[in-house]
Amino acid sequence: MTSSNLTAFLKDCERALGAENVTLVEETIKRYGEHTLPAADRRPGAVVYPGSTAEVQAVVRAANAHRVPIFPVSTGNNMGLGTRAPVAAGQVVVDLGKRMNRIVEIDEVLGYAAVEPGVSFQMMADELVRRGGRYVISTTSGPPQGGMLGNALDKGAGYGPMFDHFGFSCGMEIVLGNGEVIRTGDGSIDHPNAPNWHVSKYSFGPILDGLFTQSNYGIVTRLGIWLMPKPPAVRSFHFAFPDDDDLEAIIDLCRPLKLANFVPTLFRVSNDLYLIGNEDVYPDYAKTGGKTSISDAQRKALQAKHRVGAWTVSGAFYGPSMEAMEPQINRVKQIFLQSGKAKYIPHEEALGNPPLKTAIDSFSGVPTHGELGLLKWRPGGGNSWCPPGTPMVGKIAQKFHKVARAIYEKNGLDYTIMNVCGGRFARGLHVISFNRESEDERRRADLTYKQLADAFAAEGVSVGRSPTDYYEYHMAKLTPSFRNACNAIKNALDPNGIIAPGKYGIG
Amino acid sequence: MQTAFTTAQLERPEIADAAAILKDCVHYGFCTAVCPTYVLLRDENDAPRGRIDLIRAMLEKGGAPDAKTVGHLDRCLSCNSCMTTCAAKVDYMHLADIGRAYIERHYRRPLGDRLLRALLARVLTRPNRFRAAVRAARLTRPLARMLPKRLRPLLTLAPSRLPAAQEATRVGTYPAEGTRKLRVALLAGCVQQALAPRINAATIRLLTRHGCEVVVSDTGCCGALPLHMGREDQARALARTAIAAWRDAERGGALDAVVVNASGCGTTVKDYGKIFKHEADIAEMARSIAARALDVTELLSRLALKPPARRIPLAVAYHDACSLQHAQKVVEPPRALLRAAGFRVLDVPERHFCCGSAGTYNMLQPAIAEQLGRRKSAHIEGTGAAVVAAGNLGCMTQIGLYSGLPIAHTVELLDWATGGPLPEALRGVALPAPETENAAVPTAADSNAVW
Repeated sequence: MTSSNLTAFLKDCERALGAENVTLVEETIKRYGEHTLPAADRRPGAVVYPGSTAEVQAVVRAANAHRVPIFPVSTGNNMGLGTRAPVAAGQVVVDLGKRMNRIVEIDEVLGYAAVEPGVSFQMMADELVRRGGRYVISTTSGPPQGGMLGNALDKGAGYGPMFDHFGFSCGMEIVLGNGEVIRTGDGSIDHPNAPNWHVSKYSFGPILDGLFTQSNYGIVTRLGIWLMPKPPAVRSFHFAFPDDDDLEAIIDLCRPLKLANFVPTLFRVSNDLYLIGNEDVYPDYAKTGGKTSISDAQRKALQAKHRVGAWTVSGAFYGPSMEAMEPQINRVKQIFLQSGKAKYIPHEEALGNPPLKTAIDSFSGVPTHGELGLLKWRPGGGNSWCPPGTPMVGKIAQKFHKVARAIYEKNGLDYTIMNVCGGRFARGLHVISFNRESEDERRRADLTYKQLADAFAAEGVSVGRSPTDYYEYHMAKLTPSFRNACNAIKNALDPNGIIAPGKYGIG
Repeated sequence: MQTAFTTAQLERPEIADAAAILKDCVHYGFCTAVCPTYVLLRDENDAPRGRIDLIRAMLEKGGAPDAKTVGHLDRCLSCNSCMTTCAAKVDYMHLADIGRAYIERHYRRPLGDRLLRALLARVLTRPNRFRAAVRAARLTRPLARMLPKRLRPLLTLAPSRLPAAQEATRVGTYPAEGTRKLRVALLAGCVQQALAPRINAATIRLLTRHGCEVVVSDTGCCGALPLHMGREDQARALARTAIAAWRDAERGGALDAVVVNASGCGTTVKDYGKIFKHEADIAEMARSIAARALDVTELLSRLALKPPARRIPLAVAYHDACSLQHAQKVVEPPRALLRAAGFRVLDVPERHFCCGSAGTYNMLQPAIAEQLGRRKSAHIEGTGAAVVAAGNLGCMTQIGLYSGLPIAHTVELLDWATGGPLPEALRGVALPAPETENAAVPTAADSNAVW
């Protein structure tokens, strides 16, 4: 791309979007290039703000005409995964969040909403409250301003029965890389109204929706999202386990409860620092210069201070009243306490413990800031997230845990993880907190990430999402035929390769 | 964030304080999405992290700040919504205070701006002057078009009716009903005394009914309003007077709490410890007062509300004043008390957003304040509530400009429910029939027949 290409592209954008929706302002460009990963910031070439599907189409057509790579973002922060910075410096950020932030539709009979990319979890939660609170959303434990559409497309998740945000989405509108607009599912019928668009996933023809997750084939401008009827009461339960090696037993206790769906939420199995980091900072950072991991003695002291275990398990029931859930709570207590090591933390007590309150909010569909404190565990703002996973088999989870902890400690960083457990699989959210203002820590954070990726790949495990900087690293570990297939689809739908080339290692 | 202050600069306490705060900002940007001015204007410099950069540059450079920096800081509401969401826990509130005080000392504003700010600082902090000013505003209102544009918002905000001066809260001690549980001071305030003395009256009835001996001293303004405008010296002088008044009150017995029913003031009183930390003669007393400062709903939550004399299932939209939710983190107590009193409490969408009142903001930045006021009022009316409750007179006035719903202070509703008179705002409003104590309050979720 040359500067004259960029200039011509931006002129086209100004004509289609209005000059006020194209920016080259220094402060803005600089901020869009910032992120929290070990690598340097990546300045975009410009930022444009379309306001409709037609305007997105105009931007894509202009990008094709002038061969300018664009990098679409929805809304929110994508913290630890690349923020809003493009895959490569110079790509033009297409920020859909500023103007395309309408809740297009809420159907309270069928329990779904259709949203544009700029709709945040908080906006939807507010709108559902305004309508009388009949429904709740599945929300992440990340920031309330996170985008619902972007999170679903990046395979983000919540913690309740509708935790799988892509799985509980239905029906898309997409501007393809070649500039065409398609609708998926029944939305593709040649009719102005398609009543099944956001209620049926299985319509005529192939299910294309999955192609637009973690890819760069098109820009999704509308998504149907299913809502959960709000239960009258949510009652959580929590168990603190004292030892790092208790993970094996915990996983084996959780599995049958989820396989039978006796517990309707996922289990949050958090290690000490994942919870403590919400509220506290690495106490010896100044003394050690951040060169060593937190000591076991300090971890024990912080566990006592914050009333959490080496591992803390959280889950919740939904019911007509708090009292009505007493039998389920008693059964779960019976199962966990038989281990002889668990300490039960009841709902009422957990409400007063901020990290556990965050868990309760996330089970209840209430957007929360609580977990953001994790980003301050070390100074300097560095943060990467590495989310591999494990089958729900205690021995395997324990083995992975030991390998990962050793990698963090070898690099002088602090092992921080939450295992989000279903019946068959647990996603391991590994948080790498580091001082981005220290070259040495940036290097160690980068090493930690790559060594984690290598170690899990050696066990046949990839990641559920990836920070921008490691797309290529992960793609290189997949079979060549998979990459070839991805690139073939790219060539078919975005022949000039103008949408986010390099995203998730494609194009 | 790394800073480049010189050693000489860092010897100044306010610069050292600013440097300590600045190092925490790492530009995550969570603040932008919740910042009202960023959401409205979409300018990085009208978002907290942009303003933080501007304050850093202004303090590092020294000398007179430029008009651009001043404009961006003036547009900040100090709602502190950014502090609620900030992952790095940047103390933006105090950094903004330092920035504003620096501007006040080093920047010469245009004449009209100087006069307006001086007028507000001198009038709003004195109830008698405020009353005279409101009377003058009422007389001048027909001539509004002839007045300078900057003065017109003051006429809009001036109430059409002003309570008589004798209704102002009397200095003195109000005995507890029954056994005295606590001895508390009540900050009578400045603007509130003139504009809505009924709020103090309801507070005193409510607290004495719950076993508190209430002491009202001649504290005057707590300093919040001038502090908000960067007039640090005036704010400190006023705060010193208030602290001295409470010290005198303690001669009659220790104060268990200093109760505040205007949340903007509550934020400042709770901050006295930090405001005076560099002034040895008063630091300890300031810390002691700050440690005992409570919003009235915090104190009532500790005492537990008496069973309501009448349970009126009125739908109440509770508006979170920014100073309560973001600065003081008081979110649940007012809701829990209103529910305990029998009301149906409705949350307002986008509750983290400021209504545009923000101290003197709606007088100094009327255009942005109006956008925010209209936005907030539309959200409130969208709840279908019959009445609005809030814990800050400034918010009540601002929302009242754009909403036709009756607006009462939280304590007025609680006072009424536990035996006090009908709040002024509800006179003439059709009320639902009282419920029996055990009647189930319908919730939206009950409409879901599955449960």
